[in-house]
Amino acid sequence: MRRSLFTRVYKKSTNQQYESATQQSESEFNIPIGLTLKENVENIKNKLGNPSDLIVREITVSNKHKCSILYLSGLADQKLVNDNILKMVQSETSQSEPNTNPSGTSQSEPNANPSGTSQSEPNANPSETSQSHTNSNQSETYQNDTNANSSETSQSEPNTNPSETSQSEPNANPSETNKNNPKSSQSGVTQSDPNLLEMIEQHVIAITDTKKVQTLYEVIDAILSGNAVFLLDGVNTALVMGTTGYETRSIEEPQSEAVVRGPRTGFIESIDTNITLIRRELKDPNLRFDVHEVGRRSKQKVVVCSVAGIVNPDILNEVNRRIKTIDIDAAPDSGFVEQWIEDSFLSPIPQILDTERPDHVTYSVLQGKVAILVDGSPFALIAPVMLGEPLQSLEDYSQRWMIGTLLRLLRFLAIFISLFLPAIYVALTSYHPGMIPTKLAFSIAATREGVPFPSIFEALLMAVTFEILQEAGIRLPKAIGSTIGIVGGIVIGDVAVSAGIVSPAMVIITSLTAIASFTIPNYSLATGLRVLRFGLLGAASILGLYGIILVFIMLCIHIVNLKSMGVPFSSPIAPYFLGNLKNLLIRSPIITLKKRPPYLEPRDINKINDGGKSK
Amino acid sequence: MKPMKGAGYISDRDILIAVTINILGVYTLSLPRILAEDTTAADGWVGILLGGGVACILAWVVAKLTLLYPNKSFFSIASDLVTKPIAVILTFLFTLQYIAITSLQVREVSALAHQYLFDQTPLEVISLSFLLVVVYGVCGSRAGIFRLNALFLPFVMAGLLLIVVLPLAFIKTENLLPVFQTDFKGYVKSTYSSLNTFAGFGIILFYIALVKNPKNTPKMAVKGVMFNTILYTILYIVCIGTFGNSTTANLFFPTFDLSRTVEIPGGFFERFDAFLFLAWTIILFVHCLMAFDIAVMTIMMVFKKVKKINLVITLTPLIFFISMIPKDYVELTHLARYISLTKLTSLLLVIVLLWSAYKIKGGQTK
Repeated sequence: MRRSLFTRVYKKSTNQQYESATQQSESEFNIPIGLTLKENVENIKNKLGNPSDLIVREITVSNKHKCSILYLSGLADQKLVNDNILKMVQSETSQSEPNTNPSGTSQSEPNANPSGTSQSEPNANPSETSQSHTNSNQSETYQNDTNANSSETSQSEPNTNPSETSQSEPNANPSETNKNNPKSSQSGVTQSDPNLLEMIEQHVIAITDTKKVQTLYEVIDAILSGNAVFLLDGVNTALVMGTTGYETRSIEEPQSEAVVRGPRTGFIESIDTNITLIRRELKDPNLRFDVHEVGRRSKQKVVVCSVAGIVNPDILNEVNRRIKTIDIDAAPDSGFVEQWIEDSFLSPIPQILDTERPDHVTYSVLQGKVAILVDGSPFALIAPVMLGEPLQSLEDYSQRWMIGTLLRLLRFLAIFISLFLPAIYVALTSYHPGMIPTKLAFSIAATREGVPFPSIFEALLMAVTFEILQEAGIRLPKAIGSTIGIVGGIVIGDVAVSAGIVSPAMVIITSLTAIASFTIPNYSLATGLRVLRFGLLGAASILGLYGIILVFIMLCIHIVNLKSMGVPFSSPIAPYFLGNLKNLLIRSPIITLKKRPPYLEPRDINKINDGGKSK
Repeated sequence: MKPMKGAGYISDRDILIAVTINILGVYTLSLPRILAEDTTAADGWVGILLGGGVACILAWVVAKLTLLYPNKSFFSIASDLVTKPIAVILTFLFTLQYIAITSLQVREVSALAHQYLFDQTPLEVISLSFLLVVVYGVCGSRAGIFRLNALFLPFVMAGLLLIVVLPLAFIKTENLLPVFQTDFKGYVKSTYSSLNTFAGFGIILFYIALVKNPKNTPKMAVKGVMFNTILYTILYIVCIGTFGNSTTANLFFPTFDLSRTVEIPGGFFERFDAFLFLAWTIILFVHCLMAFDIAVMTIMMVFKKVKKINLVITLTPLIFFISMIPKDYVELTHLARYISLTKLTSLLLVIVLLWSAYKIKGGQTK
């Protein structure tokens, strides 16, 4: 009945391939595994489109029960599959047929070296009485192996009752049983019942991460995730074994967030490694990882990381709720997740921070924030993010507090320059030349003498040229990348000026703006500011300084209305005030930073309880 | 998600900031002129102190009055104390008044920009662009307005500090002397003028309903008024000391001109009033924003089903046209006087009316 349903659905899917492929109806996948091994394997093959990298290894357990191991060659660790699954099952099989199998070595070897008996075999379970009525070959094998010293067959054994051998055996030689790590005795069964699978899972398979699944959907899902699947003929349950192992990038220094002082580790594309990196830094039992699956087709793991007892449950629930709403085909990078769950998609300001650094994640999580890791992306997301935080680098805390403070102030200056400088230049030269000191005004006027454009066109020309150069520099292969730098430098810096297209002052403004924008530690914010810079340029060209001020006010309105995971973005300044400035505007000494940010309303507000006074 | 503590509500401190910035408004720019017209030498400070004192008491009374009905809107308080029709009339009185204030601010900003930044750009462009930014602000959340206040506070304070500190070197003591030569009428007039300036505390009548824990709000409102009193006194003395009484009386925006007397030696900007222009635009903007917001809020108190955005879109052209009515600075000054007169009278009227109604009812309705 079930199979007929499957075939019906399958036929339908072949007839209307396009529809079924796009819809991927749930009913199609909720089909239970059938009892016939051959058909199951065929079904899986068909479902996957008979791929060339799907390895199907068929073996026979105890000479009668057919079984198959399926995995995708590139995704699963082949050595693991061969050594810990295939070899185990095979040796089990070979032991169960000592007479028919010419592999007497497995018997003779234990005799020579009793302690060296294939230790990899799982421990015997004396409670396997259900198999005790089976052929005596089995019990012979068992005894030969366990009573290695006697090196006799079962007939010479003092145990007279062959039907109870396996049961009485451990009683007879309990000490040896423990010492020699004996094998299981019960691989052979006449009927393929789930017990055999259970037994194989319990005693044969040498892999820790196993689970049983019932539906075809889960089997295919497991195979596609790199797991190996063990199917047994006549059993409608499949055994999924965690053998995922594929080539990953090694842990390197993060490209986008380099520091002078601080750990050099960066996240990689594998989420398991990334979780490990966080766990390695935080040995707190309260560290929590909530697992979600994102991507209708990619089925990526998305993990929400937080520290229970610190994080505000409202924020955590909100993050989890938003991640559950994600409905996309695939998320190649965490940026997809970020844009799906962020509060305002119209804003140029990132409301979720991205970082490549595990230490940044642990720091943020300890502040009461939530980190989101996406499988396949080396960028972790941190939410909620507040005003000024993208301007902070974790290195500020590694430095002495005075230099940390100075660096922070410097970054505020840099962000001011990168946002406003071109606009101010345009406003001053075209609307308010009286505001520039007279001598400077003269020298600027002299340099602008031959320039045929108004300053706004000059500024736009340079700004756009710079953007093109920057974009080209990223896209080009590294070998050619430096060429662009040289060509761009000459074009911008020298030739354009001597050709009289732009003024030298404009070159200074553009390069200063560009350099200042690179001091922002967060790349997403830096790119967001590029948009704002052009907006300010436009405003300055229309209304001069007044226009700049109006855009500045609009920016502030936008910021106060912006939220990150429901927390007001301007929180450090606006609802709460002075207490936060010591960690926002300046970086006061570490021992004075006693509290976690109050706007996150963490469960445990105190970072330092008494500042070490009690010691 | 549940609103975070700081998200939906405002705190006492926000009221303090709002009152401070709102009083600062546009009148600070012209206050020295108005006071100097009625008094001799630097005697205007007496008027400021007296006006500030009266304003403190009024602010306290208004705050206490609204606190009798915590977290209830002005309209519901009024309709509870004096019947609903009267409450509707009172509410609309405030609506009209705050629309007028918004228009005035819009016009004042363009006057300021026109006078000090560009003389060729049409007034309409300057006003409209400013008004549109205000509309953008009003469309945001109400708590956002208070966050905006807090965000702007450093700029405002820095600007005011610069205004007060930098011209100190230019003060001539002969400008401040002789003292107490003003007649009694002059003191009364100056007190009245400064009281007009302080009428900005009227916003607490509407915003106190948003305060989550309004226990300390009266204290905060009074603090805000007191802060401004002190600031005005210093500002006035510095202004008179720099310009002298008669010059101050003839400058349209004496406070702003104060900053133009100073040159920063060796600085990049020859005139640092560009920075102060930022501070003043911000002050005027916030004042304008809150006035607009209150106008919208009062209408929404009566018509509960109206959408905020529709209301804002309807009011914007109206405000723009009103702001374009005055032909020149003289008419603008007159308009400003009428508006502050109605502001003060309506505030007093409401206080007297509601307070007496409350006393007559014996304060049973708590």
